[in-house]
Order: sequence, then structure tokens, then C-alpha cells
Amino acid sequence: MIVIFGGAYQGKLDYAKEKFNICNDDVFTCADNQTAIDTTARVIYGLENFTFACVKAGLEARDELAALRGQLEDKIIICADISQGIVPLDADQRAWREMNGRCMLWLGREADRVIRVFCGLGQDIRQEG
Amino acid sequence: MNIFISGGCKNGKSYHAQELARDMAREKNLPLYYLATMIPHDHEDDARIARHLSEREGWGFETVEQGVEICRALTGKTTGEKPVDPSGVFLLDSVTALLSNEMFRADGTMDLECGQRLAAELTEFAKRTGNTIFVSDYIYSDANRFDEFTETYRSTLAMLDRTLARVCDQVIEVTYGFTYTYK
Repeated sequence: MIVIFGGAYQGKLDYAKEKFNICNDDVFTCADNQTAIDTTARVIYGLENFTFACVKAGLEARDELAALRGQLEDKIIICADISQGIVPLDADQRAWREMNGRCMLWLGREADRVIRVFCGLGQDIRQEG
Repeated sequence: MNIFISGGCKNGKSYHAQELARDMAREKNLPLYYLATMIPHDHEDDARIARHLSEREGWGFETVEQGVEICRALTGKTTGEKPVDPSGVFLLDSVTALLSNEMFRADGTMDLECGQRLAAELTEFAKRTGNTIFVSDYIYSDANRFDEFTETYRSTLAMLDRTLARVCDQVIEVTYGFTYTYK
């Protein structure tokens, strides 16, 4: 499992497409009103939308992903880093920020490789072997 | 060599950029220019500019005031009335302020579509000078869902950052004075 994260608009999906030879049909884009994930897709993009949907649905995003762990082995998971700004006034957005963080902490430990994308360029945060 | 530098607020980006610009100018024996992008709106801005000026004192920078249409700086004059040499070393601090001036204009109008034009102008600036250090601000890791104008500003700045990261020879992130070189 490869995890790619970075701030908003940093070109995370374009980076993945270029580096891992991905086309649009390989990508499942998470929606912020849907907690289901299509694990037949090679790439799970916009994981921050999934974590927001989990907040709304009262689910723990990390546990939902952990339940799918066996199906995530060959996946590329892409998530926005929303951890470094001002604490949101809105309670759901506050909960989302924390939910996303817990989820990313778990994913970072589980992943074989973790890449941070900055202005379209990648930095290997973690690479096994 | 063109260099792009970004990172969080108050992390030492400007200081690092100033050092790189000064060293580049010394090494190549070229004039050293500071592109002043801030258009003062009030006393707070005046004080900020005065502080920046005193911080750069003794570094050897000549100031070129250019808050919009950045390429015009190359055919303009310094605040000391000297013509600008386009082959000099330029410090553009910051892309953030430049976009703000271009998008939210001094006359009160807005140009939310200015991104592509600016990307082309900044690319041209890099190509024509070959020795520019661009400084931007990494403002992309909020959990807030902003209003439309803020979100447009953020996505446009990110597009300019990605453009410059592609065009420049070197890309550096500064975190509390520490640097990571992406390329």
C-alpha cells in the first residue's frame, strides 16, 4: 500500500498518475456524503472526503479502513493534509480534522511507502526495504 | 539558476532567500535586486515595509517596486533611479503578495481569472532573468472550508507554485530555518 498526502491543490493525483502509470479509470474518488469505498479501483483518491462522510455518519474512519485492510494491499491511497491550519469554528470540521489525523496515523503505519507531495514534487517520508 | 522557495509563515523563508540571492550575485558578480511587491494600504503596511527595508540594509539589494505586471520590472528603474539590468539576480518576495495585488486590485475590482496570465508572466520572468529566487507561502493544510474568494485565491496560488516548481532549477521548502530540497 502506498499513501500519498499533501496540502490542497498540490497536484497529488497528477503526481500519482505520472509516477505510477495510472489512468482516470483506475481512480475511485471519495465523496463527502458516502462512507462506502470501491476497493476494486487501484487508486482511492480524496480520502479526506471519506473521513468527512464518516464524521457525518458517526463512524470511525480508521476502523472502517481497518475492516477493509485485506483489500488495500495493492492500493494507492491519496489524502489531503488538513492538519496544519486554524482550529475550525464548525464542530463537524473540528471533528473531521481529528478523524482525518487518526486515520492518516494508522495508514502511515500500515503503508509500505508514504510520499508527501509539495508543489507537485514528491518527498519519500517512508519507504520499506 | 532560478530557485523556488516555500514553507509556512515565519519559518525563515525570506532570510534563506536573501542569503541565496546575495551569494548568487556575489559569485556571478551581478547586480542584486529586491522586487518590492507589497502595495502599502495603511500605516501597518508602512511600518512593515520600513521593517523589511531595515532588515535588508547592508545586504547590497537595490529595490525595484513592482506590485503588479511583474515583467515590467525588467525594463523599469530602481528606487535609486538606476535602470534595471535583466541579467541581474532578483529576489521576488512574494508570489503571495503579487497574486493578492493582481486578484484583489487597488481600485477595488477583482480579477479572479488572473491565474493563467500570472503563470505565464512568472514563467517569462524566470526565463528572461535566469537568476530569480521566488518566495511563496504554503497555505494549503487548513481544515476550514473557506468562502469562494479565499478558495479561488488558494487554488490559484497553488497553481502558480506548481508552475514555478516545474520551471525553476531548484525547489526548497523551509521549515523553521531547516531546508528540504525537492530538486
